[in-house]
Amino acid sequence: MEVETSPSGQNMQPFLRVEKLVKCYERQNVFGSRDRLLALDGVSFAVARETTLAVVGESGSGKSTLGFCISCLEIPTSGSIWFEGRDIAVLTESERRKVRAQIQLIFQDPSNSLNPRWSVEDILLEPLNLEGKLKREETKQRAAALMTQVGLSSDMFQRSPAQLSGGQRQRLAIARALALEPKLLILDEALSALDCSVQAQIANLLIELQRTLGMTYLFITHDLAMAAHLADEIAVMNRGRVVEQGPAEKVLRHPKEEITRHLLAAMPSLDNAERPPLES
Amino acid sequence: MRTRHPFAKWLAILGALHAIVACAGFFAPYDPIEQHRKNPYLPPMPLHLMDAQGHLHLRPFAYALKLRDGTFDQYKQDTSQLVPMKFFKSGAGYRLLGFLPSRIHLFGSEDARICLLGTDAYGRDQFSRLLYGGQISLLAGLLGAACTLSIGLCVGAAAGYFGGWRDDALMRIAELFLALPWLYLLFALRAFLPLSVSPLKAFFLIVAVIGAVGWARPARLVRGVVLSAKERDFVRAARGFGATDSYLLRRHILPETSSVLLTQAAILIPQYVLAEMTLSFLGLGVPEPAPSWGNLLSNLQQYSVLVSYWWMYLPALAMVPFFLGYLGLASSLQERLEPYKIERRSPGSLA
Amino acid sequence: MRFFLQRLRHACFLLFGVSILAFLFTTLAPGNYFDEMRLNPQIAPETVAALRAQYQLDRPLPVRYASWMNSVVHGQMGFSFAYNSPVAPLLFVRARNTLLLTITATLIAWGIALPLGVWSAERFGRLPDRLLSWATAALLVIPDLALALGLLVLTVRTGWFPTGGMTSLDFESLPLSGKLRDLALHMTLPVAALVLSALPLLIRHVRASVAEVLDAPFILAARGHGIPRRTLLYRYALRAAANPLISLFGFSIGALLSGSLLVEVVMSWPGLGPLLLESILSRDLYVVIDGVLLSTIFLVSGNFIADILLYWADPRIRTEGGTR
Repeated sequence: MEVETSPSGQNMQPFLRVEKLVKCYERQNVFGSRDRLLALDGVSFAVARETTLAVVGESGSGKSTLGFCISCLEIPTSGSIWFEGRDIAVLTESERRKVRAQIQLIFQDPSNSLNPRWSVEDILLEPLNLEGKLKREETKQRAAALMTQVGLSSDMFQRSPAQLSGGQRQRLAIARALALEPKLLILDEALSALDCSVQAQIANLLIELQRTLGMTYLFITHDLAMAAHLADEIAVMNRGRVVEQGPAEKVLRHPKEEITRHLLAAMPSLDNAERPPLES
Repeated sequence: MRTRHPFAKWLAILGALHAIVACAGFFAPYDPIEQHRKNPYLPPMPLHLMDAQGHLHLRPFAYALKLRDGTFDQYKQDTSQLVPMKFFKSGAGYRLLGFLPSRIHLFGSEDARICLLGTDAYGRDQFSRLLYGGQISLLAGLLGAACTLSIGLCVGAAAGYFGGWRDDALMRIAELFLALPWLYLLFALRAFLPLSVSPLKAFFLIVAVIGAVGWARPARLVRGVVLSAKERDFVRAARGFGATDSYLLRRHILPETSSVLLTQAAILIPQYVLAEMTLSFLGLGVPEPAPSWGNLLSNLQQYSVLVSYWWMYLPALAMVPFFLGYLGLASSLQERLEPYKIERRSPGSLA
Repeated sequence: MRFFLQRLRHACFLLFGVSILAFLFTTLAPGNYFDEMRLNPQIAPETVAALRAQYQLDRPLPVRYASWMNSVVHGQMGFSFAYNSPVAPLLFVRARNTLLLTITATLIAWGIALPLGVWSAERFGRLPDRLLSWATAALLVIPDLALALGLLVLTVRTGWFPTGGMTSLDFESLPLSGKLRDLALHMTLPVAALVLSALPLLIRHVRASVAEVLDAPFILAARGHGIPRRTLLYRYALRAAANPLISLFGFSIGALLSGSLLVEVVMSWPGLGPLLLESILSRDLYVVIDGVLLSTIFLVSGNFIADILLYWADPRIRTEGGTR
């Protein structure tokens, strides 16, 4: 896979580069048979610093597994993940723990990614407490700052997630992810569970944060329209492989692969004439 | 009938029942081991407010019993002898809740004893024995349930969280335990332990045996909860923040098991009290002279007792209010904690 | 076919495991049959030792297990010290009696619970259903021990039924009809105790499962097609509710077996229960192990039958290949 230049035209070492990533899930049954699931079958792509790459594909194409591997929640079967000059796919557990702070994952459903029995404050402080570097006063200050950053107010601290709206919950999830000052944020279908109007709000928040904090986004989604709105580049995945990658405009207007055309055709649009025709 | 907090109501009822048994020393008029060999098998003495002459007494009383002419074990009430009931009477010493020495009993009498439930072969007051016996039986049930749930929690959590061969191995062992009819297993286990031991040792032995038999079903349930909790995104997120296994278990996963554990407790405790009763009834549990609801019934195995002394059966019904309370508690717990369960309209299951 | 073989293999492993478990317990046993003898000053210690060696009580565990297995294969199943005979003939007579009781109780209990549960589910929430719920709750809170003893006390005072045993003293001299009648009379009380203790739970579950199914849209559609009520209830609703009920059937067999132990002892029915109790109290090792094993065999067989019923009743299991 060749290194693409960033939209600003500068030639730079890619911020994140994934090479021939393979992830195979195996389960050993007691009577000797094995179940195998090949989730990633040689994925390769690169992301430039401070940009957004959207990884688009249908359900079952391996997108979530990709997110888990890159954020060090799963160990890939083979292949490499180059991040800040190191291959994080082959680290030891303790080294991986240190790297995890810099790559954070935002999950699709905030009612699942926030512990419903905890208060907002506990949820927000969890990463800081686990890291253990800051003192109690400082963590409270940081928590307040994070809330402001995502547009929530500190007097929500004692509420439980059930008392927040969907959009507020996702903002909380984002705030929590930002607590450890990550450089790469992986958004695993982070907008898919929200209402349309809320989606737009959160999307704008994300764009704003990228600008102010200089973050890089890996946006995993099945929604090509959302990808079009947020992404600088788009990579299309099918059955565990990246089949097409390029700048967003180019992929949308001149799709090369069959699957890309299918996804484009599935996009709701007011003007049918804009889309390229489906090969039958 | 749906009150707003049925759970609290049942808890209150059970709490009151348990409190009465816990303070058996106060509520029981006489010492449970004190024998009166001259008065074996006295029938229950009913309380009256109006005497044979038609006078109303403010203080409840009983009639003293005397032998019917021509018999040696049939009693009848002697209407010429009134035994009034005295409240807050000083009597045999005891230790309230195990450490506060006291001599005050809720009620008692001068001269003759008022035996509300009659006496047994050694003339011991059955009512007092019932209350004291409840302490042992209920405690056995509670401790046994605690034992089982602890084992079930550890095994289920280990199997569910770590998975792999550990999960397989543990679940196969659980299946073995589930395949045995539990009363047979209980008996077999009890068999292979010393038979004649002191009451205290016997008590702990039974608790251990009862606790060790039933861990398989709770373990399976806990495992199910842990398996699904493990996949929740907030657990993944916490791992992404650098959480260790013990942190995840302690703060995220195990709290999810609380509802399962509570409902299982409400179901298991009465079953275990019944198990202790069964063991003691058959002579494999708490031995004499310590009273337990089970061994209070053991002389019913003799035909003569069955025929002539029917009141010896009454301790068997002691368990009924407790069963009722635990049944209500289990139902209300299930409704409260798992309202989305499939049997949403059923009154609750005890399977 | 593969399904059956798989379940069969599973059952065999289970029984094997249980036998090992039972044998393991014996190593924890701090006493044995000959302890009493040893305490008796009139019997020389050498005699006791010789007897112990004869019964192989001093050999290591694997050896004992192997010879017991050998004995099982040859149809003897170990040796009873108290009865001075191979265990097998002892067990089988008792087992037959226990099975008689348990199977009768199962049939009667389900025979009552199914119609009652369905009837109750049909009238869900209305007065007759609520009354039945109260009645079952009242029955449920009476412990099994109290039920059995209570029936006994009632019988003794009224004299309607014999108070114990399986047959009367003059059984042999009765004609066939007399024998049957005698047996039935003796069986009434223990079966009643078992049925009454199992009934509330069964009725509750049948009612719950059928009520849930009656909610389903396909029942409404069938009603719309004019299908008569009885067919609707039994052919449609009950079949759909069969799944959890068949699992309950397997569970109820285990519960009834456990319950029968107590009932047999209380009512002096000569089944496995009293035998087990007796051999526990006298430390008759092999009888205990075999008794436990036999009851496990019954339980596992019951579950196996339940699995077969499930397979027959639920086409989904057949098509999915039927792994648990």
